[in-house]
Amino acid sequence: MGANISGGSPEFDRNDDVYSRKLRLVDLPENCVALIMTRLDPPEICRLARLNRMFRRASSADFIWESKLPANYRVIAHKVFDEITLTKLIKKDLYAKLSQPNLFDDGTKQELWIDKNTGRLCLSISSKALRITGIDDRRYWSHIPTDESRFQSAAYVQQIWWFEVGGEFEIQFPSGTYSLFFRIQLGKTSKRLGRRICNSEHIHGWDIKPVRFQLATSDNQQAVSLCYLNNNPGSWSHYHVGDFKVTNPDVSTGIKFSMTQIDCTHTKGGLCIDSVLILPKECAKEVIGSQ
Amino acid sequence: MSSKMIVLMSSDGQSFEVEEAVAIQSQTIAHMVEDDCVADGIPLANVESKILVKVIEYCKKYHVDEANPISEEDLNKWDEKFMDLEQSTIFELILAANYLNIKSLFDLTCQTVADMIKGKTPEEIRSTFNIENDFTPEEEEAVRKENQWAFE
Repeated sequence: MGANISGGSPEFDRNDDVYSRKLRLVDLPENCVALIMTRLDPPEICRLARLNRMFRRASSADFIWESKLPANYRVIAHKVFDEITLTKLIKKDLYAKLSQPNLFDDGTKQELWIDKNTGRLCLSISSKALRITGIDDRRYWSHIPTDESRFQSAAYVQQIWWFEVGGEFEIQFPSGTYSLFFRIQLGKTSKRLGRRICNSEHIHGWDIKPVRFQLATSDNQQAVSLCYLNNNPGSWSHYHVGDFKVTNPDVSTGIKFSMTQIDCTHTKGGLCIDSVLILPKECAKEVIGSQ
Repeated sequence: MSSKMIVLMSSDGQSFEVEEAVAIQSQTIAHMVEDDCVADGIPLANVESKILVKVIEYCKKYHVDEANPISEEDLNKWDEKFMDLEQSTIFELILAANYLNIKSLFDLTCQTVADMIKGKTPEEIRSTFNIENDFTPEEEEAVRKENQWAFE
């Protein structure tokens, strides 16, 4: 067959004096092709869709995408889309829309999306949605605009004794194991004349005592880790707080998380907090690598 | 204990005698047996002899019981050898498994094709499967846009 791409003419196979046309993939009924596509990842399905008209049609079959969406996708989709939008979308388009970050429609600065390869739920909670002790005191904390945050803003602490950042979240998580991270950076970065500059003047105190990272779920799963913050100033790091497992997607799982350093014998500062990330354990590395 | 035999007739007029217990792995045949219309043999208008032979071979292998135990690992190896076929034969098997409603064979054949697609570039897929691009330039642009999200 070689690399003959024009491929329109059927091949004939002499078989006992009866010419029979050899069956090709494009000769299969559309629903069979769709059933083959179900066994591929979303990006592969979309790659196939671009090959010809039949594949394009087959790739839009609802059952393919229903198998890729989280089992409780209706509940999740309702958090970010209204009813009218939802009823108009075919499942493929819903999957596509959900695979982009979508802000929750309750005005809080939180986003959800599904990992496009696996369909697993991911969440990002902005610093603005976190409970930060002393956030209103401009001697300690400020919100700084930055395009290095998906929320365009991060919380920066100049200096403080009582460092406490926490939050909570509740949703019907699809079943699976999730990892929770704080995305933080030592120092304050800004752009001047197109160059990225890091202001490290306030960084202090993080090497004296460790920071306590903690999470707890509504069904009593807990994780604690103690860490000295010692990453390079000016680079974003994801501190892994711990993992939790969800087995029942039909009930809400609540999760509380915090990052504290409240030893008041020393001050600490020069730290930027962007967000908290909740990612499926299996894709966490990949998602973080791309941030 | 003698096993009940039934006769399957391919579209090109060949007859195959098969144990009923083996044949009813096909839901289609199982229903016909239930409805008791198999006395004169079962005509399979959509299945050529060349393909029916392979289907029967599969069903015989998968008719597993205490007298004929087999490990999953051995079955997987056998599946691989069994599916070492020309493309067109694989597609004929997909159609036959679909028509005869043999879920495990249908799953195996579809998975085999899916595995042939995985990891290939669009050009490689086109040439492997002889797929003609029948889009107009406008359609090509539209389909590229509507699938862009998967590659961002």
